[in-house]
Amino acid sequence: MKNIIHHSLNYKLPLLICLLLLSGCEDFLEAEDPLGQVNSAEVFKDETTATAAVTTLYGKLRDEVLLTGKSEGLSALMGVYSDELIYYGFGGDPMDNFYQHLVLPDDMIVENLWNGSYSLIYMTNAILEGLAVSPDLDPEIKKQLRGETLFVRSLVYFYLAELFGAIPYPTGTDYEVNRSLAKQPVSIIYGNIIADLTEAQGLLGTSYISGERVRANKMVVTALLSRIYLYMEQWDLAVLQSTILIDNPNFILEPDVEEAFLKESSSAILQFKPRAEGDNAQEAQTFLFSFGPPPLVSLNSQLVENMEPNDLRREYWIGEITDGNETWYSPKKYKLKENTGTSMEYSVIFRLSEQYLIRAEALARLGNLPAAKEDLDMVRNRAGLLDSEANTQNEVLTAIQMERYHELFSEFGHRWFDIKRTGLANEILAPLKAGWKPTDVLLPIPENELLMNPSLKPQNPGY
Amino acid sequence: MKNNYRRSYAYALSFALFLTYNSPIFSQNQPQKTISGIITSGADPLIGVNVLVKNSARGSISDLEGFYEVVVQSSDTLVFRYLGYKTQEVSVGSLSRSNSGSDIVFNVVMEVDAQALDAVVINAGYYTTTDKERTGSIARVTAAEIDKQPINNPLESLQGRVTGVDVIQNSGTPGGGFKVRIRGQNSLMAGNEPLYIIDGVPYDTQTLGSSNTAGAVLPSAQISPLNAINPESIESIEILKDADATAIYGSRGANGIVLITTKKGREGKTKITVSSNTGIAHINRKAKLLNTEQYLEMRREAFANDGITDYPATAYDVNGTWDMNRYTDWQEELIGGTANTRKLFAQVSGGSSNTQFLLSGQYQEETTVFPDDYNYDRLTVNSNLNHQGKDDRFNLVFTAGYTLEKNRLPQQDFTSDALWLPPNAPSVYDSEGAINWENSTWTNPLARLDSKYSQDSKNLISNMVIIYSIFNNLEAKINAGYGFSELSAITATPHTIYNPGYGLDSGASTLITSEGNRTYWISEPQIRWQKNLGVHSLDIILGTTFQEHNYDQDSSIGIGFPNNNFLDNMSAATTRTILEETKTTYKYHSIFGRINYGYRNTLFMNATGRRDGSSRFGANNKYGNFGALGAAWIFTKGKDLSWFSFGKLRASYGLTGNDQIGDYQYLDTYILQDYPYDGNIGLAPARLYNPNFQWEKIIKREAALELQFLENKIALSVAYYNNRSTNQLVNYALPGTTGFTSIQANLNAQVENSGFEFELYGTILKNDNFSWNGSFNLSVPKNKLLAFPGLEDSSYANRYIIGEPLSIAKLYNLEGVNPETGIFEFTDFNGDGTISSEGDRQFVADLSPKFFGGLSNTLTYRNWSLNLLFQFVKKNGYNQYRFTQPPGMMLNQYESVLDRWQQPGDQATMQRYTTGDNYEAYLAYSRFTQSSGVISDASFVRLRSMEVAYNLIINEKKGTSCRLVLQGLNLLTFTNFEGGDPDQIKGFIPPLRRFTLGLQLDI
Repeated sequence: MKNIIHHSLNYKLPLLICLLLLSGCEDFLEAEDPLGQVNSAEVFKDETTATAAVTTLYGKLRDEVLLTGKSEGLSALMGVYSDELIYYGFGGDPMDNFYQHLVLPDDMIVENLWNGSYSLIYMTNAILEGLAVSPDLDPEIKKQLRGETLFVRSLVYFYLAELFGAIPYPTGTDYEVNRSLAKQPVSIIYGNIIADLTEAQGLLGTSYISGERVRANKMVVTALLSRIYLYMEQWDLAVLQSTILIDNPNFILEPDVEEAFLKESSSAILQFKPRAEGDNAQEAQTFLFSFGPPPLVSLNSQLVENMEPNDLRREYWIGEITDGNETWYSPKKYKLKENTGTSMEYSVIFRLSEQYLIRAEALARLGNLPAAKEDLDMVRNRAGLLDSEANTQNEVLTAIQMERYHELFSEFGHRWFDIKRTGLANEILAPLKAGWKPTDVLLPIPENELLMNPSLKPQNPGY
Repeated sequence: MKNNYRRSYAYALSFALFLTYNSPIFSQNQPQKTISGIITSGADPLIGVNVLVKNSARGSISDLEGFYEVVVQSSDTLVFRYLGYKTQEVSVGSLSRSNSGSDIVFNVVMEVDAQALDAVVINAGYYTTTDKERTGSIARVTAAEIDKQPINNPLESLQGRVTGVDVIQNSGTPGGGFKVRIRGQNSLMAGNEPLYIIDGVPYDTQTLGSSNTAGAVLPSAQISPLNAINPESIESIEILKDADATAIYGSRGANGIVLITTKKGREGKTKITVSSNTGIAHINRKAKLLNTEQYLEMRREAFANDGITDYPATAYDVNGTWDMNRYTDWQEELIGGTANTRKLFAQVSGGSSNTQFLLSGQYQEETTVFPDDYNYDRLTVNSNLNHQGKDDRFNLVFTAGYTLEKNRLPQQDFTSDALWLPPNAPSVYDSEGAINWENSTWTNPLARLDSKYSQDSKNLISNMVIIYSIFNNLEAKINAGYGFSELSAITATPHTIYNPGYGLDSGASTLITSEGNRTYWISEPQIRWQKNLGVHSLDIILGTTFQEHNYDQDSSIGIGFPNNNFLDNMSAATTRTILEETKTTYKYHSIFGRINYGYRNTLFMNATGRRDGSSRFGANNKYGNFGALGAAWIFTKGKDLSWFSFGKLRASYGLTGNDQIGDYQYLDTYILQDYPYDGNIGLAPARLYNPNFQWEKIIKREAALELQFLENKIALSVAYYNNRSTNQLVNYALPGTTGFTSIQANLNAQVENSGFEFELYGTILKNDNFSWNGSFNLSVPKNKLLAFPGLEDSSYANRYIIGEPLSIAKLYNLEGVNPETGIFEFTDFNGDGTISSEGDRQFVADLSPKFFGGLSNTLTYRNWSLNLLFQFVKKNGYNQYRFTQPPGMMLNQYESVLDRWQQPGDQATMQRYTTGDNYEAYLAYSRFTQSSGVISDASFVRLRSMEVAYNLIINEKKGTSCRLVLQGLNLLTFTNFEGGDPDQIKGFIPPLRRFTLGLQLDI
């Protein structure tokens, strides 16, 4: 009897066990999101994480690429590339190659600028895609975030186009597409930027979303747009956009030049908020020095000597260090290296002076010299200078360029981009730098990029 | 592990029977007789022979004197069974006829089984096999071999012993790591580590060390988690190599499997083993460096060559600041110490026929060759409990091992200081015994003694196997394991290590902490069905695996302390920054099976398969199928050739995989990044999203021939293997316009590893007092990159060449020193008139071993035994000039730089000395360090280990004995290599030469 049971079980039981074993649990393999990581779709379901994705763009610009006050940023790099800054670091290192105009296609700085910028572009495209498909986010928040993201994308493309000329223009996140893109001419890039900025103006309000002037609003977008029109030589549109800012009562050219770079500055249109409370703008650590020779860079003494004797900016924005024999000048717009408990200086990205100078230049180009001079004198008077004595259109334009040099030095390479766009780079730099070539107006496309994406060919001329 | 469990199962079975033999159930009507006697091998009594009553549950086992006693009925048949001997059957009836009484004395002489291969049970992971029947390639190192070497990490026992396994110790500093490659490098970028299984539980051997804390003293912060395994607790290590053996491990089998089985308790009298070892260790090869006279000559000549007559103010060595008659052998001073080692080991084991146990503990201490007191301590406890139910159906094996390690080391290895410090550098201590800074003219290396690396780890591995026999031929089994590893480390760097000239205070002191944790569990329910049908035998296993690994790693740095007394307290730091915070989970689920078919014990076929699911892959690719077929044919079966005792042909073919790519690579996620802004956290896309990457696949093929001659006195095996890995998982480089510089993807590159493996074993001499056994092994591996689409345009263009091994280096080709200029010259391969990195690094140096192996000899004479193991490797390596600066700078050099160019017309191997001021010479030297000039023959023959042992049997009856051993490791190295030890990683302590003296007592 027992045997019979055994026998019948003998065949069924193994079968049963087999079935039990093989019914694996598919769910078992679903690993939870790892520490510090959120599923991309989840990011855009929640206001906090969606906002964090957008503000990270500012964080990266502040700490890592293009607008950072560190030595990797344009303020230092394009400063030494032009006639603004003198480089004192090690000979033969990548920054020295910028200074001496010996940049090669495999230059590390060039590759970092390129990769860092396109990494930001990728982030903006990923945010735009994420926002577009997010079902849950408040529409108002969506508009704000989309507007800010379009602004950052435009800002990055603006610098890329100015640095490299024709560049690829990824609009999505698909690497299969982005790995083989061809270059777009600068005019197309600018057209895209204008479209993005115009859309952003419609999406964003005029107030600052978090109280402080540290995230883009409609006014910030307008400030970039007026600069773009200036670069595109669309003078009337530049006047139109800069006037919006100049007429806005929230922005006042503070009477005291010393206040321009403080957190509370009333002329600031966009500032970067430091990482932590008590931190101050990173520019101070990069540019300030207390004994010579300078560890990194000093201001070109020509710039200082060029200034009119009673220019307040000479006194308040420039440091003078001497060892008895030699004298060096430091850009001293930002004065606080240390943590001050409560932050006092924010890095200013857009400020009203530039808008006055944009409008002045555009008006001068349009032939409206009195109005142009009026704007120019706004900036001059604040620096403690008398009205400009320029008369002819050329004189006014030259005075405006000189004023830009004196007003905007050590800020994001304004000087370089100005002499480049006005065609003066060759005239100014050829006598100063032995390595200068007229083709240096553009940086080389990184060699690795050309190797991995042959559709980027040809390399920029001269490299 | 299963191997042992099987064995204990067999014991259990017989002992269970033994226990029940006198129970009343069996006292039935038939007249009972007692049969007793002594079982011998002819000369010695055999202990533990199973004496079974055929077709019953009764039986006995022989004791220490070989005595057995069993109660039988006259119709019974007795079966005498012992591993390695022929089984004998005797019917009680036939004995009764010659013995009239009720009690019968029957002495048995067991005959050695000529087919002794049967005896060696081999652990194949999910099943066991025998050497005779195995269809796959499985190598084995036993406790007897492991114990012959004074080693700390079980991996050291594999060096020179196993074919196809290349083991390199990273550093002679205790607590470091190893590089292990089984049959070569399969993967371009994913891991190439074998899978380690300890007693059935997969053991992750990724380091828990952090380069933030350990990086400067242990190469790449590699801390082998296998340091937690006491080699004395190991019964055997099996290495599974081919598809047949590894495919049952599916996706993790690509790089081979290392199975470690710990010792288990056995039935019998309680045995106590106590042993103690003490020893010394020191570096085995010192570099030949310049003495002061030669050094200063070099310096002066360099200045003269560079046209400098006024020695600069900072040239302290030649300008008179330092004593020019002073000489310090910095190697002796900094790494020339003697490390002391001490080990204490105790083990208790024994048990009844139903329950056996083993408990062992080891304490080990080792100091370093560095100055000052550094030491590594380890305490390990191992336990094992086996239980068999009375009805023979139930069987349980439990093992657990717990280890505590403490490692106190300098924060940085002193090896490179020992090589470059000028021989007339100042004395390390001043006349008052304080650190001498010689007026801030040098960085005193001993100042670093104030900084320390301190590491504490805990490790638990536990495992339980439960088997229940449902029917005679069907059993259910579950293998379950749990373990954790924790490692916390700090490096504390007080400001006092810096030159006081900087005027630093404790505000510059730093503390770095790191903590790595891993917990894991596994559960593997299985069923097994076995059946013998006449000439056919069938053995089927089916099972499933659930496995989870959790890992986290944190690291922080604190800078600035109120004073150095608080340097161990992170909370006292002025600023604290988190350097790393990682937490990952790895889950794994699969189904596996094995079908083994035997025909007339002549032909064996083995099919294994596994369907694996891994959390490391995206939804579409979570599962992969792997499998293999193996076959073996014993062609000598049934043939009667007196000299040719055994011949087997085996072959296998199959597919395995590799998933060593780290976790979460397929996820489309945003990751926390350190860009806080305006009260918001930093959040950015973690990577380019590729949900489609898959397992790396490796197709393995093998054919082998195994032969034995002259009654198995000589055994020879030859194996050929060919493994091809495809679908390579790489971080494929992408242009920056994609937002990232690479993506995890499968690349259709193919890597081939092929080679021959030879093993020869011989009993050279054997008589009553003397025996001599020798074994020889040789591996001839070949690695080749077969295909790599788009290599030329990829970021790997400078690393790999199609048709060459993966381990190549592309270098400049050194043409020698130009006799006119005295400067190194290189081949201008592309003929563009200049030497450039892109065009002219065309010299290909292969750094993988051409062949390697070992030769082991064991001689015994009465109670004495001697074992010698030689290891040999044929390979090229980076010589002494790699990572050096031009001779003539303020750095000491190898003696070989003396053959240098001095004046036009000189033929020399070394270019003109320069202080670095001659830019052309400086540049040429920098190219020289990346040229064929830094490649040398790094082949060596090494007396890897030696053991002299004396066995004293105190009481044969009680089994009391004593063993005295003298052991040595890395004793002699024969090589032409000048760059230190041929296995040394530059800048770190080489493997040490050791001597230990030990005493072992068995009671």
